[in-house]
Amino acid sequence: MSKNNIIEVNQISKHYERKIALSSLSFVVEKGEMVALIGPSGAGKTTLLNTLAAIIEPDSGEILIDGLDLRKITNQKTRARKIGIIRQQFDLVGQLAVIHNVLAGRLSEWGFVKSFISLLFPQDKQTAISALERVGLPDKTYERTSKLSGGEQQRVALARLLVQRPEIILADEPVASLDPARAEDILETLTRLAREEGQTVIASLHSVEYAKRYFTRLIALKNGEILFDLPVEKVTDELLKELYQLKELDQNALV
Amino acid sequence: MLSFDLHKRKLLTVFLLLIFIWSLLGIHWGPELFHTGGMATAGQVFAAMLQPDFSAEIVALGIESSWITLAYATAGMSLALILALLFGILGSGVLASGKRSRTFMKGTFRGILGFMRAIHELVWALFFVASFGLSPFAAVFALAIPYGGILGRIFADMLNDVPDEPIEALRASGASRLQCLLYGYLPAVKASMISYSMYRFECAVRSSAIMSFVGLGGLGYQIQLSLNDLNYHEVWSFMYFLIVLVVLIDGWSTMLRKRISI
Amino acid sequence: MRKPKFTFLTFSVYVFLFLIAASWYFVVGVEKASLIELFSRENLQYAGKFFKGLVGVGEEKIAFLSKDSWSEAIKLTVETLQMSIMAIGFSTVVMFLTVLPAARNVADGTLTLSKKWYSFLLFGLIRISYIFSRAIPELVWAMIVIFIFKPGILPGAIALALHNFGILGKLCAEVIEDTDSRPIRNLASAGAGRMQILLYGVLPSVLPQFLTYILYRWEVIMRTTIVVGFVGAGGLGQQFKLSMSFFHYTEITLLLVCYIVLVLIADFLSERSRYFVK
Repeated sequence: MSKNNIIEVNQISKHYERKIALSSLSFVVEKGEMVALIGPSGAGKTTLLNTLAAIIEPDSGEILIDGLDLRKITNQKTRARKIGIIRQQFDLVGQLAVIHNVLAGRLSEWGFVKSFISLLFPQDKQTAISALERVGLPDKTYERTSKLSGGEQQRVALARLLVQRPEIILADEPVASLDPARAEDILETLTRLAREEGQTVIASLHSVEYAKRYFTRLIALKNGEILFDLPVEKVTDELLKELYQLKELDQNALV
Repeated sequence: MLSFDLHKRKLLTVFLLLIFIWSLLGIHWGPELFHTGGMATAGQVFAAMLQPDFSAEIVALGIESSWITLAYATAGMSLALILALLFGILGSGVLASGKRSRTFMKGTFRGILGFMRAIHELVWALFFVASFGLSPFAAVFALAIPYGGILGRIFADMLNDVPDEPIEALRASGASRLQCLLYGYLPAVKASMISYSMYRFECAVRSSAIMSFVGLGGLGYQIQLSLNDLNYHEVWSFMYFLIVLVVLIDGWSTMLRKRISI
Repeated sequence: MRKPKFTFLTFSVYVFLFLIAASWYFVVGVEKASLIELFSRENLQYAGKFFKGLVGVGEEKIAFLSKDSWSEAIKLTVETLQMSIMAIGFSTVVMFLTVLPAARNVADGTLTLSKKWYSFLLFGLIRISYIFSRAIPELVWAMIVIFIFKPGILPGAIALALHNFGILGKLCAEVIEDTDSRPIRNLASAGAGRMQILLYGVLPSVLPQFLTYILYRWEVIMRTTIVVGFVGAGGLGQQFKLSMSFFHYTEITLLLVCYIVLVLIADFLSERSRYFVK
């Protein structure tokens, strides 16, 4: 076991009723890797990410985070320091001002009283403002989050991750509801910031093109199994064709 | 499916009509339903409606009583809000960690809320007066309990309707249940809570007016006194005060509710 | 656009804070109400006696253990139920008679395409009557009605109806104002009369919503029946007040139990039937 292995997945399986969502998957992710999960919808990408985030418990197998069994990290606050999650833009509380949504990343470190006071007089304001500057939203600090556009909201979610500073970022279709220009922007920011912070990223993506451009390693899932797990430069068109065949040729996914 | 729905509706309408007819059978219809001279009294009451007594003395008394009514309503409502927030949050079960403790909390506190609002404010007032004597607190508490129950139940429902995603995200970034409440649930329902409370405020003013029936001051008390004196002109003067007070509060709350973006 | 909105809201918040402070000052300061006095030994003794009485400690006759009291209470419960149904029935009838001219889109002719000179007069008069009806609480109506009728469930039902037709009318008029006017205009331009428009155009589209409101008001009326009874308008409330005056504590408990059961049944039934029509 190399010291650099931040995630070790050993033989995890998950069944839903009659359907097999994950069938004994194993892989290892090293610290600082940028991994993209690809595959047709229903292949188990979201289930895998939710399992890694401890939202779903696998039927069998184990997950080691930094050498620790994920099931043993029951404390929400400890877990939050290891793993951060970003999804589609519904993750923010629309009625709160942007700064509070960003500072929510601090909640694992704050007690109840401090978090209450912060709603009236924002605490650690500089941290939040510099995080917003880094994601390119310096002037929206006190706006109502629901007034922001989809792309801007996703930047706020990134700023929250910057404040939370987890070692691993799990991104579940982070750009699913954004137009192409915004999507590239967000992915670029996400991977850049993660590199700067030395974080590990696992992201599920619909688009192979984005996966190839912004990530270093692709894990392809099909019917709950790993079809291939390769550095991005070794992924060939034949492999991709095999991954998406049977499904009617999804133009967007193949371009 | 549609025809079945239509059918169901017709069935229900007929059923409701039958019940209404049954209820009418509970009365022995006839002239002995009226007091002798009851119709004449009715005429006097309606005539007085057009000629209320607005002498300086009555107007001063009306303003004072309106203030008492409003003060009891506001004090009762502010207490009711505290009760409603407390029991509403507990009754929504958002603070519970496990599934079983959530069901338990929901059941217990929603039960308490149900009991609070099942009993009418005037009955509470009677109880408070019977046990503590005539005190303004009797009026305030008597208002606060049922209104706390009504508001609390609605607050709990609102909290239960908050979408899951932002809360899950907060949990994932390490927030405790209480912190989720502060950063997720409460901001999400704040506007609707204020809006609904404003709407209930108008009802609280009316309820406060009838607290007088158990001997606690206010507009209702004056109406009752004037009725006892058979002075219908005065009765209507105080009625107009009550109407103006209610319409003003209603207008204010409508204006506010339109401006609060949910 | 943002500035004036902001000021009205802040203004309202300040008014509210002031109102709350002033009313508590009035309750505690001016009326000299003291919480400590409220819980004085004497008061606590009274309260203790009262609650002991409610559960039957030290009472000679325990009403909720006597068969006669139960049958009497059940008779009153049925009467109260009848009163509530009568009340909602009366308010519904009055509401149906007045709701059409009380809708703004009927009054100004956008819905029916026919505008009469008296439309606005009628609209104004009915709306004013709604305001009167709504603003005056049931109990006050009952106090007046009881001058005209002899005690019984009819005056109670009338008092409840007097307060509720205004509320129902306002709610239902708003429903009509929100209906899609196109099919109804179609009928009107095809030469349908006022009655026909009501029957074929308006009624089917608004009835479900009306029913929801009627059931909701019935729930509220059920809860209020006890209060109009206090002034002699029959039912459980009348007996309740009598028992209070004669210090028949266990009877109070029995009546209260019947009352709460009625309220809970009304809650449940209206919830169910709303689900049924959905």
